[in-house]
Amino acid sequence: MLQDIITPARALLPGDAHAELRAQMNRSCRVTLLSGNLTANAKSETSGVSARVYRRGVYGFSSMAECSEEAAASVIRAADENARFMARRAPSPDKAPIAPIPAAAAAPAVPFDDPEQKYYTDFARAIDAYIAEKYPNLASRAVIATSDSMEKILAASDGVSGHTASPRSYIYVFLNSETTAGTPIELFEAYGGSGTFDANFTDPAALRESIDRLYEKLMQKREGVYADAGVKTCILSGTLAGMLAHEAVGHTVEADLVLGGSVAAHNLGKRVASEKVSLVDFAHTAFGRPAPLPVVLDDEGTPASDATLIRDGILVGYMNSRETAAHFGMTPTGNARAWMFSDEPLIRMRNTAILPGTDKLEDMIASVDDGYYLITTNNGQADTTGEFMFGVTFGYEIRGGKLGRALLDTTISGVAFEMLKTVDMVSDTVTWESSGFCGKKQPMPVGLGGPDLRCRVMVGGR
Amino acid sequence: MHDLKQIAAAALAALRARGADKAQCAARFTETHEFNVDGGKFSLFRTLFDNSLSLTAIREGRRGSVSVNRFDDASIAAAAENCLAIAASGEADPAWDFAPETDNAAFSDGEPEADLDQLFDRTEELMRDIAERHPKILMEQMIVAHKKITSVYQNTLGAAYSRLYGCYEIELMFSAHEGEKASSFFGSYVCTDSLEAPFITLGSIEEDLSNVERQLDTVPLDGKFVGVALLPPSSLGEFLGSLLGNFTGDGVLLDGTSLWKDKLGQTVADARVTISSAPLDPRIVCGERWTGEGYPSEDYDIIRDGVLKSFMLSDYVSRKTGLPRAKNSAGAIIMQNGETPLSEIIAGIERGIWVGRFSGGEPGTSGDFSGVAKNSFLIENGKITAALSETMISGNLAQILQNVAAISRETVADGSCVLPYAAFGGVTVSGK
Repeated sequence: MLQDIITPARALLPGDAHAELRAQMNRSCRVTLLSGNLTANAKSETSGVSARVYRRGVYGFSSMAECSEEAAASVIRAADENARFMARRAPSPDKAPIAPIPAAAAAPAVPFDDPEQKYYTDFARAIDAYIAEKYPNLASRAVIATSDSMEKILAASDGVSGHTASPRSYIYVFLNSETTAGTPIELFEAYGGSGTFDANFTDPAALRESIDRLYEKLMQKREGVYADAGVKTCILSGTLAGMLAHEAVGHTVEADLVLGGSVAAHNLGKRVASEKVSLVDFAHTAFGRPAPLPVVLDDEGTPASDATLIRDGILVGYMNSRETAAHFGMTPTGNARAWMFSDEPLIRMRNTAILPGTDKLEDMIASVDDGYYLITTNNGQADTTGEFMFGVTFGYEIRGGKLGRALLDTTISGVAFEMLKTVDMVSDTVTWESSGFCGKKQPMPVGLGGPDLRCRVMVGGR
Repeated sequence: MHDLKQIAAAALAALRARGADKAQCAARFTETHEFNVDGGKFSLFRTLFDNSLSLTAIREGRRGSVSVNRFDDASIAAAAENCLAIAASGEADPAWDFAPETDNAAFSDGEPEADLDQLFDRTEELMRDIAERHPKILMEQMIVAHKKITSVYQNTLGAAYSRLYGCYEIELMFSAHEGEKASSFFGSYVCTDSLEAPFITLGSIEEDLSNVERQLDTVPLDGKFVGVALLPPSSLGEFLGSLLGNFTGDGVLLDGTSLWKDKLGQTVADARVTISSAPLDPRIVCGERWTGEGYPSEDYDIIRDGVLKSFMLSDYVSRKTGLPRAKNSAGAIIMQNGETPLSEIIAGIERGIWVGRFSGGEPGTSGDFSGVAKNSFLIENGKITAALSETMISGNLAQILQNVAAISRETVADGSCVLPYAAFGGVTVSGK
């Protein structure tokens, strides 16, 4: 665990400006078995200290790859010099002042230890051996065992100080085959979530059933067909709904992107989705359980709370830093987060999900005469206009209310605030994903989720 | 200032003392100064001091890697210990190795020393130029930085390098706005070692700003056609990256899924296509000087006159597959320009699409691609007629390379690659 050099050094923060001081350690581990070849077997650990100072509407920031009181003093000094440079050369004195947050201390971090590398390699080998022996006809396979963690000690000139730690760990399984026409196909799945690798994975045999199901889907995909292009009635799985929540809506309601001209700038208080759609960025608890990647405190000293973004189809809020919250007259909810010690806090999502409805998935499928049930994705991109494109790696035709043939890779696209108005059925079960990174200047672990949605959406076909 | 050669030597000694048969160490110190603009206003000035120490050890054929950002003796010892423990957790593979002894080259290139006042002035000037010449543009984010990097590489076989270099990087993310109308966002990037020229004149920044301003009023495409996709350097680079990764990279050759696995020395593209990886080309700013495995970086052709000349393989995958190793691990892609002016290429397109940016799923090993043509224009009867919305394109990467309509005389060099404008036939373009 990080040694606390922040508490003694916080007295060095300038008394006449908003400022933060943070020590941070990131650790990661990756073991890759590519068709049985151990192509990656590596660990990484980075740590250091950073400071940020706010003067006349502009920030100065500095970081150093060292966790010591001397380094803390250096970065505070350099950050303040940078803030003064900017205040002199490019001030924004008209910005609303950052509202103070009462001082408090967050609950201390729960200590954690990463297991030995052998634990990762042995686990990955056991899974790889199972796949190689049971499914020798695969064109290729990959097993990746991975973990990452952020541990932070934060002191801000006001607000909440604290020591937080957030490890997560996953196993990815990739299976490759060919269609009967010889076209390469692939499916993958990620298992795991918040917590250390040895806590999440105790027995390789526990994953066998999931891998068997993945293989079965791959075999269905071998016989799969291309989706017909055009606007179709589709049921998007919770995985795709989560992608939509994050990529196509979530980013447009990050307040820095709103100021950068996103579509949400002109839609606050307006209908952007059907009344069946509500969207929340959960902080640490969702639906009475821990959120996939809980956040209790952000890197500006704001205690984390949920941000309601869409309520019954109406856009009601943005995600904010303390600076943008002051600009928009909103209350910050703890979204300003940094990936590494050398990164400044940016407005980031935490666990963003469309809320569940009351429909049953089987009723939703039965209601579709001619359409698709789209289930897994490997990729999603969206514009600040809300125009999105998601890759779909698995799904089924729906014909006459029944599932038909599996689909080959396709895409869906649309404009989020138009497409969401077509949502007319919402299932009662939320599916979460948390294995990926969101990219926005810095990477950031995020959770995303949602229920199954029935909607009209453009399908790419071939 | 850290003595990186001494640090690397100490790290190799620590690895040897713990039983490494062979080992390598890469150490780097980076000083970054960075100005940020958000929502059209200056927002942040960052100064970063970063260390990086990467150790790799091979013992009894087993390999382990560790990276940390500390240079003190205790951290080096702990990293070496960890590195050998990781190696022990793996399995023996005789294909792991490092480069043999070299001439111990020392490099110095780019502009290592930042002129921060001039950098700030150029950044302010760029904001002024954009406001005056492209008033509809709103800068979502601009990051202008200088990086000074000192790095060394040493391995136990005698390969050793050192380098001091520096460069300026300019990244823009912007969109056009008029009332409640907005264009799609677009990104421009340039890496340079000089502050002599106004930033707006570098790379394709000016052209990108102009194009995005013309994308405020878009029309949906009616129906579907098979035609020509004209890719400017901004999207051509993305396509080439996917294509080369899917057909010539380590993963697909190691697992045998590359469509080109048996095509070395054979024609895979139109005879006008020549693609090189050239980190030493003078148009590439601060390109790679040694590979991750310690070989000196050299320029090489991937495709020359349509013939596949080299895969982009690491030494490890080369040993695993028996195929030749690539002469660098850099990227630094240069596609040879053609003879036709861009205006003539456009004039010759009966029906096609200008694809400024491609937003699609990463194509798989089949090479099939399908996605939204962002920042795109319709080309009809030799003229760019309208900016398009919600238009998809699809095709196959391997096939379009054999279906080249034209390659432009003009190129764009952004410091990281040099690319022309290339027109490919047989691409399916479909509207809503």
